[in-house]
Amino acid sequence: MIIEPIDHDLALQQGLGDVLSTCEELGVSDDLFPRILGHAPGYAEAIHDAMYRAHALGNVDHKLKEIIRIQLARAAQDPYFAGLRSKQALAAGLDEQRIDAGSGDFENDPQFSAAEKWALRYSYLMYQEPEKIDRAFYEEGKAHFTEAQIMELGGMIALHYGMQVFMRTLQGHPSNDPEG
Amino acid sequence: MTEELIDEGIDHYRDSPAFTESEKIALEYSELMQFATEKIDGAFYERLREHYSDSEIVELGTFIGFNVGYHTFFRTLDFYPMFSPDGRLVSQEESRRIYGERPVSHLQGALDRALAEAGNQQPEGGEGS
Repeated sequence: MIIEPIDHDLALQQGLGDVLSTCEELGVSDDLFPRILGHAPGYAEAIHDAMYRAHALGNVDHKLKEIIRIQLARAAQDPYFAGLRSKQALAAGLDEQRIDAGSGDFENDPQFSAAEKWALRYSYLMYQEPEKIDRAFYEEGKAHFTEAQIMELGGMIALHYGMQVFMRTLQGHPSNDPEG
Repeated sequence: MTEELIDEGIDHYRDSPAFTESEKIALEYSELMQFATEKIDGAFYERLREHYSDSEIVELGTFIGFNVGYHTFFRTLDFYPMFSPDGRLVSQEESRRIYGERPVSHLQGALDRALAEAGNQQPEGGEGS
């Protein structure tokens, strides 16, 4: 690790108990990321809360957002966030085949609905070809999602990708293997 | 802070006497995070540590990552600042005319365009009439 996480007990002393509990409950992130952010007072709570709300709460299907989150992490070449899995999404039936499909040729994959394909295209294009996300693209999205849902997706994409790029440079990896 | 210093920090920070070595590596950190992430390796972080604590590095890295993520998203939403460079509340149409389709230095026309737009909106006879 480029920057060692703060000790678990120190994180608790800093009032990060609820953050660490949420990490344990959801699995994304695990407690490594907030313990790294714990070096900067206040950052772990704020960033974790924003990432959690964007990813696990809201009105867009969490399983779809989990596929998007992993697609983005792979694009960012960040093994840490790409290696994590949402326990909530897995419990709801998301599997590795569908996760991989979301990072593959999803446009021609019949397992995804038109709405899901638009959302996957949105996240894919955001950092590969953002010039293609124009007014017409958003109009197409509004046939499937409300403006509130599109902002939810866009905000989640932006925040998670930004933190994935940062985490890539820190060369972190998940604390647990895929079996937990 | 001046527009000249902002431009210098974006375009010429490496050779600029306007920035300290600490500031230069922070600017390099930001530039690489966006355009050449693979160059931010252990050796780069060792250079950062010569100037910043781990707490400050996390603060910088989080801030930069946040901006890397959000500015691209905001770009797709096609919105412009609510205020002109000279501080007037302007419509989105006027703001687009002032700031332009692509982000460039305020010294490359935005300030002049803002003043020209303000002049066009003056009542006949000018200010105070």
